[in-house]
Amino acid sequence: MLKIENLHAEIDGKAILKGLTLTINPGEIHAIMGPNGAGKSTLSYVLSGRPGYEVTEGSATFEGEDLLDKAPHERAAAGLFLGFQYPVEIPGVSNVQFLREALNAQRRLRGEEPLSGGDFLKRARAQADALGLSMDMLKRPVNVGFSGGEKKRNEMVQMGIIDPKLAILDETDSGLDIDALRTIGGGINTIMRKPDKAVLLITHYQRLLDYVKPDFVHVLAAGRIVRTGGAELAHELEREGYGAIAA
Amino acid sequence: MSLTLPSTRDESWRWSDLSGLDALAVAPATGTTRGLDSHWIGTDAAGGPRLLFVDGSFDDEHSRPGPVAVGLTEARSDHPLAKLATAPGWTLTVGPDGATPPGPIEIVHIATGGASHVPARIVLAEGAQASIVETYVGDGWANRLTTIDLGRSARLMRAIRIIQDSGFTSLRDEARLDAGASLVTTLFAGGEGSSRLDAAITLDGPGAFAEHGGALLARDSQRHDAAVVVRHAQPEGTSRQLWRAVADDKATASMAARVEVARDAQRTDGEQSLRGLMLKRTATINLKPELEIFADDVKCAHGATVGELDAQALFYMTSRGITPDRARALLTQAFIADALSRIGEEAVRDAFQAEAERWLESRS
Repeated sequence: MLKIENLHAEIDGKAILKGLTLTINPGEIHAIMGPNGAGKSTLSYVLSGRPGYEVTEGSATFEGEDLLDKAPHERAAAGLFLGFQYPVEIPGVSNVQFLREALNAQRRLRGEEPLSGGDFLKRARAQADALGLSMDMLKRPVNVGFSGGEKKRNEMVQMGIIDPKLAILDETDSGLDIDALRTIGGGINTIMRKPDKAVLLITHYQRLLDYVKPDFVHVLAAGRIVRTGGAELAHELEREGYGAIAA
Repeated sequence: MSLTLPSTRDESWRWSDLSGLDALAVAPATGTTRGLDSHWIGTDAAGGPRLLFVDGSFDDEHSRPGPVAVGLTEARSDHPLAKLATAPGWTLTVGPDGATPPGPIEIVHIATGGASHVPARIVLAEGAQASIVETYVGDGWANRLTTIDLGRSARLMRAIRIIQDSGFTSLRDEARLDAGASLVTTLFAGGEGSSRLDAAITLDGPGAFAEHGGALLARDSQRHDAAVVVRHAQPEGTSRQLWRAVADDKATASMAARVEVARDAQRTDGEQSLRGLMLKRTATINLKPELEIFADDVKCAHGATVGELDAQALFYMTSRGITPDRARALLTQAFIADALSRIGEEAVRDAFQAEAERWLESRS
């Protein structure tokens, strides 16, 4: 589904990714762990097309198509979803309007019919219920006045409504209490653990992986994947620290 | 007619470009009006009062003026542009505790290439209420003077939509509010023409309330220029000036908002919020908030900021699949929403918002 080869990327002339190679197949959940500054967030931004990040070498393809060639909204329509570490507040634009616009823009680009207002609301209500956000909150401006945990839940509601093929979740677990972590872990499993979908979890800690069991765990250090293992590698990291493993 | 126009050396006109007015003043009007029905907000069936002025002349056939009297008015001003407005115009007088029919009085001004100078006078007696919506369309120079006199506790709501295809719209309001009176004016300037929006509002009785503001959208080489003075002459008055300006391409949007608080106007509550959004760095936004306060017990808040669209919000939206153009339009619309939200009548507010949306969608 996603094939990254020898990816090099920089921001403001500073090299962050230095030859990252990773393949994700349908049905797989991958976790990328690593110390601060290893390039975890950069990887998510490069894959989603955030302006300012320059790819200097290597490639990334999504279902056989060059991903890096596409604009961010085209990547979204192709089935890529980025869960933000810091979801952005958008005063004056309601969640409902934002999501309906987003979903229908993707459908248009894929040549599908737009979803009607009623069908959209039904879908939004189902996802909001599943993640413990009220419809009242979805009628409010995007993330404005939301707590840290509510913002992360909202990311998952968005993911559920958009229903992507590949979700890259950038520290979706940061700032969550145990109950919220369980809810969000459950959300990820319900929405994304399917044979035709895949997830790339970016995280510092092992605790989200108690709820979303990864098939592969990778350690990212200094812009490259330095070690790959199964779910047990996360426990080892938690026990021994990045220093020992990444060295 | 030879025109004597203010110069940009005059501080209150420094951001205006009146250089096109000499030519417009003598340009011939074609008298051709198109798409007349599309300019009304209310339906014909609703039967509310409506007045059509074509090149400043009252069009009897397409109007039903209701309580509005058409003809020479008492409105006079020594304002450099408004003083030209001495032709027949219109007058609305509402007696004590009276009200205009439900729904707003609609006035449409169509310019067909030339210049027109029309005065208007609105007099609401004690406790009277009225709501008026005006729309400016077409090509040419529409120059207007509106003098307003609100008696005790009278309430006037005005919404003004400037959507000319080209040319210039210059409006001058001069208002006096008696005790407890309320005047709310919301302007929208979009279209393709330029504008100068002048107002002088005096809170002349205790506890009066004035709100004056709106949204200015400018692109290409358009110029919108608002200059408002609110004078608190009596105590316990409240004023709000909320303006949002958006400038694209090489356009200029300017807002000068002044609050004057006289020595006796204790416990005045004044607020100014001027915000500009530049869609391109070649555009210009000028903001001038001014406070002149002679009383000592007052609350006057003011804020003036200019910025660009939030790059993080743009990326967030596009990462969800919204096209960059649509994301910019949504964020811009959100930016001006505050300024239009004060329009009380839903149909009018919707029409103004739709106009903003049309402007944003047609952005290349």
